Amino acid sequence: MRGLSRTKDPGKWAPWRALLAAGVLAAGLGIAACGGDDDGIGGGGSDDVSVAEAEGEPSGTLNVSNWPFYIDKRTVGEFEKETGVKVEYNEDVNDNSEFFGKVQPQLERGESGGRDIMVVTDWMAKKMYDLGYLQDFDKDALEPAFANLVPALESPSFDPDRNFSLPWQSGMTGLVVNTAEAPDVTSVNDLFDPQYKGRVEMLTEMRDTVPLVLKADGINPEDATEEDWTAAIDKIRDAAESGQIRKFTGNEYTKDLANGDAVAVIGWSGDAVQLQADNPDIQFVMPDEGCMLWSDNMVIPVGAPNPTAAYAWMNYAYEPQNQAQIANYNYYFTPVDGTREVLEEEGSDAADSELVFPDEEFTADCSTQDEPPGGPEAVADVEREFQSVITG
Amino acid sequence: MKGGASSSTRRRLVPYALLGPGLVWLLLFFVVPMYFMGEVALRSGTLETGFQFNWEFSNFSDALSRYDENFIRSFIYAGVSTVLALAIGYPLAYFIAFRGGRWKNALLFVVVAPFFTTYLIRTIGWTTILSDDSVVVDVAGSLGILDLFQTLGFTDTDNRLLATPVAVIAGITYNFLPFMILPLYASLERIDQSMIEAAKDLYSSARQAFLKVTLPLSAPGIVAGTLLTFIPAAGDYVNVIFLGSGNQSMVGNAIQSLYLNLRDYPTAAALSFMLMAVIFAIVVVYIRFAGSEALMGDEEEAT
Repeated sequence: MRGLSRTKDPGKWAPWRALLAAGVLAAGLGIAACGGDDDGIGGGGSDDVSVAEAEGEPSGTLNVSNWPFYIDKRTVGEFEKETGVKVEYNEDVNDNSEFFGKVQPQLERGESGGRDIMVVTDWMAKKMYDLGYLQDFDKDALEPAFANLVPALESPSFDPDRNFSLPWQSGMTGLVVNTAEAPDVTSVNDLFDPQYKGRVEMLTEMRDTVPLVLKADGINPEDATEEDWTAAIDKIRDAAESGQIRKFTGNEYTKDLANGDAVAVIGWSGDAVQLQADNPDIQFVMPDEGCMLWSDNMVIPVGAPNPTAAYAWMNYAYEPQNQAQIANYNYYFTPVDGTREVLEEEGSDAADSELVFPDEEFTADCSTQDEPPGGPEAVADVEREFQSVITG
Repeated sequence: MKGGASSSTRRRLVPYALLGPGLVWLLLFFVVPMYFMGEVALRSGTLETGFQFNWEFSNFSDALSRYDENFIRSFIYAGVSTVLALAIGYPLAYFIAFRGGRWKNALLFVVVAPFFTTYLIRTIGWTTILSDDSVVVDVAGSLGILDLFQTLGFTDTDNRLLATPVAVIAGITYNFLPFMILPLYASLERIDQSMIEAAKDLYSSARQAFLKVTLPLSAPGIVAGTLLTFIPAAGDYVNVIFLGSGNQSMVGNAIQSLYLNLRDYPTAAALSFMLMAVIFAIVVVYIRFAGSEALMGDEEEAT
């Protein structure tokens, strides 16, 4: 049993060691003290929210963080040509919570990491705003965009005056199914059917997955109690542990559907159309009990370096011609009035698709995303429970 | 001008001066971050209400008890991967060192070449290699290997390899194989061939020569290789994300989800410390068992 150091001379070593250790601790404490006094990290946003002012003509570089598969290949280039603004378009939002975790430390310090626009779902936009991470819009600069905003999205409950969020696209969460391999899947409950064991996936987005499971059990998410949420999470947990659910994903379910590892997943309406290009059997299936409706919103973070270019981008995206180009690619609901006419003129299939312009009947049973019931502590508990199901 | 006394003082100080840069590096990149992480680990609260420094030592025990399954899984997966890497790596290193001849460098290059691709891409590549309709799964299925795995309890299904522990262990073994092969090669290459000849002159068989001469002399390589493989593998989380599912999640995944998804920084920091402590304990026991001379490569004392 010999130690890691071979020469031991206690007389000589001990005082040096003690001094070294003390020095190290002192240096550490010194640096920590210089690091500033925070009695706590986080703790709610500031009371005064800044307005991102537009200044002059748009120029420079625009940095956009968006979800994957959310824009066609040409819009960015055409925007760059029209305005002279260089666009850094990053598809680095894969899941709201994951993205939040990534940007939160910077936003906390008032920096956006170079981002001018982030696209996050309603509830995350509200959460970021409440924490003081977003700026208000300079409404004058956005007049063209607001003029074209569809009335249905003008005044959502989380941002009634549209002070800090502008929809990018809306969509539905439902079932994306390989109808050749799994023709009988019409409800979220079918995902628990043992014949599809190990070939079913659900979303890591708690506010999509759990309310859908609630609806499948006949519970309206708006009236659900904490016990209902816990029961639904337990049902999902049992399925995950038994191997019924292969994995929980953000956008990656598209890859598993494409290569056949999964046959039926909870997924987003527009993705189905893009997958159809390679495999026409993959379709969006409206669950019998209805879907979840949501919007992804463009928001401007604190510390955004180029809000002027951001407003130019928003106005550009809200022109019906440009929106039609995007709608043709990603088949989500467009928030821009007048897009349907443009699509009809072009004779595009998107004009008639119920995925882009659903009629009232199609989305009759759909719910808008709801927070779990209770105050912040209760919500945090539910989030932690769901997280333990996802990560095991 | 300098007297005898100060020149001997200078000589005494020289080792510390030489240690200086290393110590500064350790201080800046290890001690100070550890201090900050320890400070966060002792806080309590949530992101919305703020984190307060509360000397919350319960974070450490809570972390250990809440994620005990993750810990056990981490060490099992890392341990099995290390053993597999040793089983695969030792014959390969032996072959390159003793039979490589003028192809040694080329063979070593082939071992290291996959590392020119980034870790993430290599792991994603395995999702294709092991996907449900891949050649590997087909062959394994028809040979009955998948059923065998299911009976032995390695997987809970007989029609796929992805999202099972088998895929995760395969991924970890593959990713850390060069960390095992290169130290093994380095120590095997240093062995003086004349010792083996001497053994044979003393009437030992090939097997005895290997067991009594080659193997002990390569002990430093084995110890170094196993440490270099086990320690990072225990903290790995990438393989689980792509090749596994929630049922295989390791401590690294727990820390990631605590930090990024739940924003529960104190528990994440506490869990990191517990992981470090457990790995440290395992490594200390292992080194005592293997003997530090083996680690230091002192051949005179190792025989």
